[in-house]
Amino acid sequence: MVNYNNKGEDEERLVYGHRLSSIGPAKVTGEVIYEPSNIDLAMKLHYLRVVYLFDKEAVEGLNLSLIKLKEALFSWLNFYYETCGRFRRSDDTGRPYIKCNDCGMRFVEAKSSLTLEEWLNLPANSLRLLVPHHVIGPELNFSPPTFLQMTFFECGGLSFGLSWTHVLGDAFSVATFMNSLGPLLKGLQPTSSPNFHKSPSNTYNSAKAVTFDPLSMKKVGPVGDNWAIDPPCEMDSCSFHLTTQQLAQLCESEGDSSLIQPFESISAVIWRAIAKIKVGSEPNVVTVIKPGPKADDTFLRNNQVVSSLKADFSVAKAHVRDLVALICNQPEDETAQIAEQVGQDPGGSDFIIYGANLTFVDLGGAEFYGFELKGSGPELVNCFVDGLGKKGVVLVLPGPKSVKHKDEGRLVTLILPKSYLEELKEELKKEWPLIT
Amino acid sequence: MAPSVSSLKTKYIKLGYQYLVNHFITLLLIPLILSLSLHLLQQPSSSSSSSRLLTTLHTHLTPFQLLSLTLLISFLAALYYTSRPRAVYLVDYACFKPPLTCRVPFSTFMEHSRLIVHDQKSVEFQMRILERSGLGEETCLPPAIHYIPPNPTMEAAREEARFVIFSCLDNLFKRTGLKPKDVDILIVNCSLFSPTPSLSAMVINKYKMRSNIKSFNLSGMGCSAGLISVDLARDLLQARPNSNAVVISTEIITPNYYQGSERAMLLPNCLFRMGGAAIFLSNKAAYRRQAKYRLLHVVRTHRGSDDRAYKCVFEVEDKEGKSGISLSKDLMAIAGEALKSNITTLGPLVLPASEQLLFLFSLIGRKLINPKWKPYIPDFKQAFEHFCIHAGGRAVIDELQKNLQLSDEHVEASRMTLHRFGNTSSSSLWYELSYIEAKGRIRKGDRVWQIAFGSGFKCNSAVWKSLKSDKKPMEDSPWVDCIHRYPVHIPDIVRL
Repeated sequence: MVNYNNKGEDEERLVYGHRLSSIGPAKVTGEVIYEPSNIDLAMKLHYLRVVYLFDKEAVEGLNLSLIKLKEALFSWLNFYYETCGRFRRSDDTGRPYIKCNDCGMRFVEAKSSLTLEEWLNLPANSLRLLVPHHVIGPELNFSPPTFLQMTFFECGGLSFGLSWTHVLGDAFSVATFMNSLGPLLKGLQPTSSPNFHKSPSNTYNSAKAVTFDPLSMKKVGPVGDNWAIDPPCEMDSCSFHLTTQQLAQLCESEGDSSLIQPFESISAVIWRAIAKIKVGSEPNVVTVIKPGPKADDTFLRNNQVVSSLKADFSVAKAHVRDLVALICNQPEDETAQIAEQVGQDPGGSDFIIYGANLTFVDLGGAEFYGFELKGSGPELVNCFVDGLGKKGVVLVLPGPKSVKHKDEGRLVTLILPKSYLEELKEELKKEWPLIT
Repeated sequence: MAPSVSSLKTKYIKLGYQYLVNHFITLLLIPLILSLSLHLLQQPSSSSSSSRLLTTLHTHLTPFQLLSLTLLISFLAALYYTSRPRAVYLVDYACFKPPLTCRVPFSTFMEHSRLIVHDQKSVEFQMRILERSGLGEETCLPPAIHYIPPNPTMEAAREEARFVIFSCLDNLFKRTGLKPKDVDILIVNCSLFSPTPSLSAMVINKYKMRSNIKSFNLSGMGCSAGLISVDLARDLLQARPNSNAVVISTEIITPNYYQGSERAMLLPNCLFRMGGAAIFLSNKAAYRRQAKYRLLHVVRTHRGSDDRAYKCVFEVEDKEGKSGISLSKDLMAIAGEALKSNITTLGPLVLPASEQLLFLFSLIGRKLINPKWKPYIPDFKQAFEHFCIHAGGRAVIDELQKNLQLSDEHVEASRMTLHRFGNTSSSSLWYELSYIEAKGRIRKGDRVWQIAFGSGFKCNSAVWKSLKSDKKPMEDSPWVDCIHRYPVHIPDIVRL
């Protein structure tokens, strides 16, 4: 198991009492195989770590005794049995698939001596203590694709930390997955039956012929059965919240007040800031990952559109407006190419997408705040990505909802090399003085 | 396969022989009765024969002598009735249904094993055992054992005991209408967990039972302890008229999960699972109508005097000081011998005369004529309609099926119980009986044979007679949500 953060004594005081067990579907799944598509396999070295923080009002009145909790979890996993299977390789091509043998999701119970308020005031990196950092391997047969940690706070609040292999689906799928747990925790009974034919299709419509290697993907390894890469340099994370007003101001200042494009604006500002810092090696090529067309809600899928962008001009000196235009209009959709590349050797080749270039991920539309317990959603949801390339990633997440506002801005999480993250924060403060 | 003509002939000869011997006395009496009736009919006035008899009595005996005669007859009748053993009724029983959140699929068991046991060879050994075990994917282990590593504290063991036992008892009290205050005798058997105060004290405390209750706690007696408890209850019910007895059979797994790598001691981990049963026995006539079964016989055989038998299921500590149950390699052979011993005692009690005669002839023949003759194995299918063989493991059931020449349907209850619930030790017999009832196979007058093996080495049997044909499906049966899927075909080896 690769640990992405150093466990110090202080950290052990923050979260302690870890107890590991397994949770799985209540009913026997049977002989079911889940075959990931090429795009799924392209993502196999990446892991999403999603943290949900709830305050005690959301939890009060809910029966969260271990027995009731496990009943809800087991009932939930009847529908998502593929998260409880184990990877195997096919005999002929070595292509990974999931045998849905009900082995289970690893479940971690933990306690924290801090209150929710204290957690919200800690830097983003500390939230990583609330989510397990697993990777798949070295034995595929015995590696759970998902881990779930529930940490109970001193004040009565709690957190859910989901560690998720990107093979199973993108962040939108994670949101759908977790949201379906809410009603079950409240004691409601499921109204449908599980679907046992969920494997994604493996065809991609490509407008153009596949003629070139995708820029957004980089070959690594081979890693064999240990689906992890050594971090190329020390990475650090930080998060900041941009309110709707700040976003509006940003778009107005760029002259485009008619349409608020939060993701494009934020990405443009950050791209330029990074370019300004990295004099001499500014990133001309970036990867943009946006959600694909909305498909069937209940299935877990890698539905994102991966595009690469090349700037022919100097990014550091560019106007944000031009960068926004570039991001909106020019990305080269490379999803089909990625699928094609992977398809050539699904068993042997290993790739990374996040971090191969500086990657911007638009998760603003993900419904993380739909995971409702007693009628209210989480106070905060943050998301990290592991298994990154050295160029780093910028995640644009939905902002925390409060007082029932529909769109509370955006939460921006940066996972970048430690060497220039501080400098970048200073640079960004020029644009957004309120960020910490 | 069409039976051949000769085998059909043999079958009919056998049937004819059985009818002849089993109904010998009836067959003898029929011609006697016929001749007597014919003789009477030939008499000129038949109606006066009975009045003539009465007049003779009246004239030859004084009233005093008549009264004495009547008293003597009544006294002899009373003596006969009171010296008969009291009928022991099984009013009803309830089995523990483990929650599906405790279930252990094969893959989960193997993965946890891999993470806890560090010897690769031992892990592979466990995998091979599991593949051939005959267990299914819904057997359950207690919550403490689900942790990596398992967390077998005494509190967790007590928690499991409370969960299993109270669940069974609540179910039993609801089903039968029995009130805890009306329990006169309480017997709890749990082999491997024996805290202070005892589990029976725990039950009395929870249900606020009477202070003059007779409680017993049997520990260390293995998988056959369930029938030992029933035997004890029977003896107590003979001594005490108008009494109710509750027997609780369970095995608490939490403290006994072996965490080492010694192969002979890993086997129980693969087979033993969470389970329990509570049985309500009574000798009160009031319960006669409600009762489902009547206890006919209990036969206990103990092979402890033989050292090999004594040591074959033994609790030991391994090199690292971890304790577990070690099973010897000649377990099956010893079980076979214990079985023979048991059925030698049981046979004369239950077998029809035809089988006993055949066995006798075969015995005489082997002793006097030719020792090389194959010993005749009595056909127990004629003595019993249903068989509940303790689901100790696939090998045990196979061995018994072979030895007693039982069909697949006879051992179906045992195999399916092993598949759905695993080896629940002393309570497995009750899950098996529950299976047969859930399938609607019990008819009034059917006889059920429960047979269990246990450490010691012991082989115990109980014979019950059904008092009702059970047509109503029971909502709280442990099989209620899965009986429609059974019987399932259990492959010899399940690929993991």
